[in-house]
Amino acid sequence: MRIAGVLLAVMILTLNACAFSRGTLGDELKTETINSIKKGITTRADVIAQLGAPDRILQLNGRDLFQYYRYDAKVGSLLLILVNFSRVSVKSDDLFVLINREGTVEEVIASKRTEGMEFRFWPWGD
Amino acid sequence: MTPWNLLRALLLTTVASATLAGCNVARLTINTPLTPQHVAFITEGRTTLADVVNVLGAPDSMAEAESGTTVIYRFLNAKYSRVNFGWLAKPWSPVDPDLIMSRSGFGADAFELICDSDWVIIHQAFVRHGPEPLFTPYPF
Repeated sequence: MRIAGVLLAVMILTLNACAFSRGTLGDELKTETINSIKKGITTRADVIAQLGAPDRILQLNGRDLFQYYRYDAKVGSLLLILVNFSRVSVKSDDLFVLINREGTVEEVIASKRTEGMEFRFWPWGD
Repeated sequence: MTPWNLLRALLLTTVASATLAGCNVARLTINTPLTPQHVAFITEGRTTLADVVNVLGAPDSMAEAESGTTVIYRFLNAKYSRVNFGWLAKPWSPVDPDLIMSRSGFGADAFELICDSDWVIIHQAFVRHGPEPLFTPYPF
């Protein structure tokens, strides 16, 4: 406890500045929108009506693959007098919707990695 | 602005702001860097793409392959460290001396999977096998 107090005092005395910044790219992919896409039921037009035009369209063995993505970047910096620590964390939310030749959804692959991403300045560790 | 342009701008801003002190340690991670331990659960010929997505999340890109579909997980673990030995002389020097050593390591890698038409993983591999970069400002 005493060591922690001494460390905190040293850090406050040497603290020059802190910085937090954030950047996002793309629209948020809402979980309820992703869950509303049903295999074999939802059509290509429904997907476009709900999510807009895809960020990328790929051809996969004669079928269309719609890709939607969103990037979130968080930057934390601890600027001390003699040493600076900075960390940039970037994660993405991705949604792939595979549309078959009949125009209905065949497969949905999605994940949201940005949930729970924190501002960090300490560059070591995971 | 593409994702990579956004990342370049962030990296440049971080490095530029980090050059104002004597020592700097900075790190950039894009997605969770994967290791062989993270993907040890994948068994070729048995594990499906759905199993992989449940553990690793959605991939970054998918593409058509001759034997099915190629699925790619990209990640980056970049490390930058810098020491300005000129700071030691600043209190006594009439000029602002710099003696800087710095080094960056870009641990860019990707994990690739090939699925057959039933979404079963038939091949898996990391693109690179280099060691993880270290925070070492010594450039020589």
